Amino acid sequence: MANKYSLNAVYFCTGCGIIEIPPSITARWDAERFGIIPVATPRQGNLFMITGYVSLKTLRAIIRTYEQMPDPKYTVGFGSCPINGGMYWDSYNTIKHLDKYIPVDGWIAGCMPRPEAVFIGVTHLWTLIDKDMANGYIRYREHYDQYRGNQEKLFGKLDWPPLYATATAQKEMAA
Amino acid sequence: MVTKIVQLVLLPVLGFVIGIFFLGLYRKIMARIQWRYGPPLLQPVIDIIRLLFQRGVSHGIIFDFGLVLSLAGALTITLFLPFAQWCPLKGSGGLLVILYLMLLMPLGMELSGGSAANPNSSIGISRKFILALGYEVPLLLILLSVMTHYKTISLFEVVLSQQHSAWALLSWPLALPGIAYVLILPAVLGVRPFDITTAPQEISYGPMVEYGGKYLAFAHIHHALSLFIGISLFVNLFLGGAANPVVFFVKMFVVFTAGVCVNAVFPRLRIEQAVSYLWKWPTAVALLGLIIVSLVK
Repeated sequence: MANKYSLNAVYFCTGCGIIEIPPSITARWDAERFGIIPVATPRQGNLFMITGYVSLKTLRAIIRTYEQMPDPKYTVGFGSCPINGGMYWDSYNTIKHLDKYIPVDGWIAGCMPRPEAVFIGVTHLWTLIDKDMANGYIRYREHYDQYRGNQEKLFGKLDWPPLYATATAQKEMAA
Repeated sequence: MVTKIVQLVLLPVLGFVIGIFFLGLYRKIMARIQWRYGPPLLQPVIDIIRLLFQRGVSHGIIFDFGLVLSLAGALTITLFLPFAQWCPLKGSGGLLVILYLMLLMPLGMELSGGSAANPNSSIGISRKFILALGYEVPLLLILLSVMTHYKTISLFEVVLSQQHSAWALLSWPLALPGIAYVLILPAVLGVRPFDITTAPQEISYGPMVEYGGKYLAFAHIHHALSLFIGISLFVNLFLGGAANPVVFFVKMFVVFTAGVCVNAVFPRLRIEQAVSYLWKWPTAVALLGLIIVSLVK
């Protein structure tokens, strides 16, 4: 209940999308009516919004930011590009499917979506939280092996320790 | 005896409730000044409940201990500040104890933020100490002139003598220290022209950068209490306290609203601008006030 009405958002504006966020949090559309305020550090947030295309370099920062946020946390992809690559569908260094690497609870489609779409997205997220369907952070814990595997397939060896004990690490511990 | 125990329990709770109410009102008034609708009045309560249920990350014993220290300091000061006629520890120490305990609040916060080893929090800590150096000089001069004029260190007696005569802010020898206190009040409260310590756009909340979950909830509670303490001290020293709690609350409310209006229209100063302001005008006015007070006596 309190999670629902107090969404502190960490905006990860990769390139586009930064234009749509200021009108939605300032006087024109005022997201603070719904208890949504932007915060400056991932430790304080519980809503992670990724706006715009995700390149290989930004994906590293996105994963690290996501892992620093405290549970429960919700992720929303904003715009077409995180969903399926959008207009960068044939780019060599853009991530086509963000939800292979971190769990995403909802998408706001469009290129770019209008600020109204952000609020429709928020009301949908409220419904999902009520029905316990916004469970990305639980999925991340349960399927951490697969997510970490996908991340390692992309980057080779990762230079940060795993957030949860992976199956391979547990096997090494047992051996 | 029973009333004293009741007051000992009641005053920290009252300080917390009023502080939280002010935090909610702060967001609402700021929103209306900026032509927005604003969050519900209870938004800080919702935030604190959410944060208490979120999983926080600790960064060691000092990280936990510093937060507890500053919270304990804040809760203790509420017992020394008269809220209308309620002041359970009025016989012990008065203004001197308040001065010492007021140092404990930022100190605990800086200990805790410093052990997180984040560069942003280090910058915030150094800014906080420089700012404190800036406003402690005029604050000490102001308190010295109040104590000299009323010939007591007890805050409760200061309030009583003001109720027999006039408010200190409006009476002749203490008007100058009163004006100096008005000039440094935003720095004591840490609101907008002086929110250098926790500037979210520059250094991501400064010392609070690594707080999450219940740590941030306690930091919010501490913020609410420090708001209550800053305003309550001003009302007691210069606006004559009050005979009943409702009048006291109304006085606090007026001071708070004026502070929010200042907060809404001023941009943030840089740290050296803040210190040069604090050591120039408020200090000069307070020093002049102290000289006049000691001569008039």
